[in-house]
Amino acid sequence: MRPDFLRGGLLALMVYLFAAAPAIAIASLINATLQPSQIAMGESAELTITSSGSSMQPVTLPEVAGLEFRVIGQSHRIDIINGATLVTTALIVRVTPRAVGIFTIPGITPKSEPLVLRVNPDGSRNSSVLGNLSSGTPSTGARADGIRMTADGSAFVRLILPKREVYVGESIPVDIEVGMRDGFVSSLNGLPTLTGADFTLNNLSRQPERVPKVIDGKEFTLLTWHSLLAAVKPGKFSLSVESPLTVRIRTRPQRESLLEDALGDPFMQNFFGASVPKDITVASPPSDLTVLSLPAEGRPPDFSGAVGSFKIASDLSSAAAAAGDPLTLRMHVSGAGNFDRVDSTMLERLDTWKTYPPKSSFKPSDPVGYKGEKTFEQPLIASKPGVQTLPGMTFSYFDPATRRYETARSAPLAVTISPSLADTSSSAPSASVAAAAATGTGTPAAPPIGLRPDHLAATREAGQNSLSPLYLQPRFLALPSLLSLAFAGGWLGLRRRASDSNGSRSGRDRAVAQATHRAVMELQTAARAGNATRFFNAARTALLATVGAGLDAEGEEIRQLFALADEANYSGDQPTTTEFERWIEIVRQRLRNGKPS
Amino acid sequence: MIGRTPLAMLGLALALMGCHLRAADADEPRYSAAALYNLGNSYARAGKPGLAVLNYERASLLAPNDPDIAANLRFVRASSHLPSESTGRFTRAVTVANPTVVSWLGVAGLAVLGASVLLGIVSSRRRWMRHAVTVLGFTLIGFTVCNAVILWPTLHAAVVVTGATPVRVSPVPMGDPLFTLPEAETVKIAAEHEDFVLIRTAAGKTGWVSRANIVPVVPSESLP
Repeated sequence: MRPDFLRGGLLALMVYLFAAAPAIAIASLINATLQPSQIAMGESAELTITSSGSSMQPVTLPEVAGLEFRVIGQSHRIDIINGATLVTTALIVRVTPRAVGIFTIPGITPKSEPLVLRVNPDGSRNSSVLGNLSSGTPSTGARADGIRMTADGSAFVRLILPKREVYVGESIPVDIEVGMRDGFVSSLNGLPTLTGADFTLNNLSRQPERVPKVIDGKEFTLLTWHSLLAAVKPGKFSLSVESPLTVRIRTRPQRESLLEDALGDPFMQNFFGASVPKDITVASPPSDLTVLSLPAEGRPPDFSGAVGSFKIASDLSSAAAAAGDPLTLRMHVSGAGNFDRVDSTMLERLDTWKTYPPKSSFKPSDPVGYKGEKTFEQPLIASKPGVQTLPGMTFSYFDPATRRYETARSAPLAVTISPSLADTSSSAPSASVAAAAATGTGTPAAPPIGLRPDHLAATREAGQNSLSPLYLQPRFLALPSLLSLAFAGGWLGLRRRASDSNGSRSGRDRAVAQATHRAVMELQTAARAGNATRFFNAARTALLATVGAGLDAEGEEIRQLFALADEANYSGDQPTTTEFERWIEIVRQRLRNGKPS
Repeated sequence: MIGRTPLAMLGLALALMGCHLRAADADEPRYSAAALYNLGNSYARAGKPGLAVLNYERASLLAPNDPDIAANLRFVRASSHLPSESTGRFTRAVTVANPTVVSWLGVAGLAVLGASVLLGIVSSRRRWMRHAVTVLGFTLIGFTVCNAVILWPTLHAAVVVTGATPVRVSPVPMGDPLFTLPEAETVKIAAEHEDFVLIRTAAGKTGWVSRANIVPVVPSESLP
């Protein structure tokens, strides 16, 4: 019996194993999918790892440079197939790229196929991207009201054009609306701009109008800018505006965010970490616009490029003025159009008037300057008195409504010019008042209180032909100039004569000095030789040559000298050395000063 | 002792100048103090204080010590609510004579000074007398120079002849107005540009005024 029992038990085990074999095989099945396989930078893909078996097998998240893997959810499903329990577990992983490129995610199991994720630059994602992620390109078409939401419905931009056909240079007022869903748009990062270069956006209001608006049951904040659109060249164009925004994008599939969306509370999303900020550029649906050229036919010569509807008027600062007084001629151009091209030279040249270039000022009547009044002011100065007429002025423009050039005209202006006050300053003010007074004849008018009477001797007084003092008149200044020259000449002449006199005296002094030197040398030679005769003869000769024929009455010493000279000649007496020295000194002093010391 | 040639030259020069000045004076005289004074009175009666002050100023140039001119000038200025200019002793002393007399005094001073210098060269006698003559010459010349210095601002002054004359920041008709000048105010002319004159008021304010609104006390063609 025992072998049968063992045989039966072994058979039962084999059946069990056979029956349990599929379950074991199912438990080892792991599958991974990546959706989508192509995303734009800033978006995320979803990696779903499905494990089928009796229990969830441990899964190690792959590591790929440039990709971030983060488990965001897990689901379980239990199926009973033929009595067997099949547990399917799905692990949801968010894959967020950190760089642009093609990434290969290795298989979860060694036998699994690798997955490929293509990450494109921002804004270049194709239409296969999941619609629950925010993007800069609208994924839906424009609605009937011209609004085209972004893919996540967080914002829109709309360009409102008043007409679809304009002329080159014409300015048309446009409105630019940016709708931002409350809580989904963090900030507005700049002013709206045109996408093309064929148009210019002028006078864009710095601060937009801000109003709340409900669109499809959702609350939006509507920002509206007013501006002037002008085309720079003719043709057919597709026009769009775009605005940079920062929005909060969902990081969960939309089906998982329905609760938060239903609550409409961004706090809830932020609390659960369901959104991240992202900078996007939202563009408006393209608007077709036809730009026409201004016709060449019938263009006035003074056409300055003004396109619109205008009328003009003119006035003068005063209807009466004196010759030489400045007047201001004003021309007012009012209406609607491109006032930046409204220009005028006004009256360039007028006989009997001096004209100056005008300057203009613009006073808009709307925020963008499409309507208003431009005033030109031109200074004028009349050169001749009398009643004069300033001609009417013209202003040419192109009217898009009539599609032809128009010329607005103003009425002529009359002005009375009186003689200049300055011209009358040297003449009598009026015949009745000043004739007698200015000439000094007749009875002077009675002075008002405090005013002293006229001078009756006016005609007898010697007059002058200039008010400038005589000493400042060139004709008179010639007199002191000539006097000065004459005195200078006399001074120079006298100085020269004195100089000549001093020159002759100095020559005589030089001759005396030379003779003195020669005489002293002769005396010294005779003294050294002890020759008294020669000594006194030389002294006599020198002194006689100096003092002339007559001897000085006071020169007792000179007479004594001459006596000693004669005595030496005839008696042979010899003076002593001391005496010789004394007489040398006496002679020297006499020769130098004319008298002894 | 002085050479005959310089004296002959001096005599010839004086003779020529005499003929020259006589010919100049032969032109029809345009200004006399009395006529200008009477004209100022006429404008004052006609209610034109600017032109009245202008003619009084011109009259006072020719007759600086005329009390009637000074009185009426003060009266018209006071009537126009303008302050009258006060003159100091020195100014009164220097302008005691009219500029024509002062001019001849200056020439006389120059002649006396020159003769004194020449005599000093040729002779050393009567030195004290020569020194006195030299001082006299210098005094007369200095008197003339001081008279010119005192009158110089008046020679470059102008009178506002229109009421509420705008003074502009630049010499163009559309220049922004800085302030307005009352009629009859006397201003100094600092510069000229086309139809505008840069003026300076007694208070030190400056700006450009149209020529049509002011008249120079001394016409510009009379100034050197």
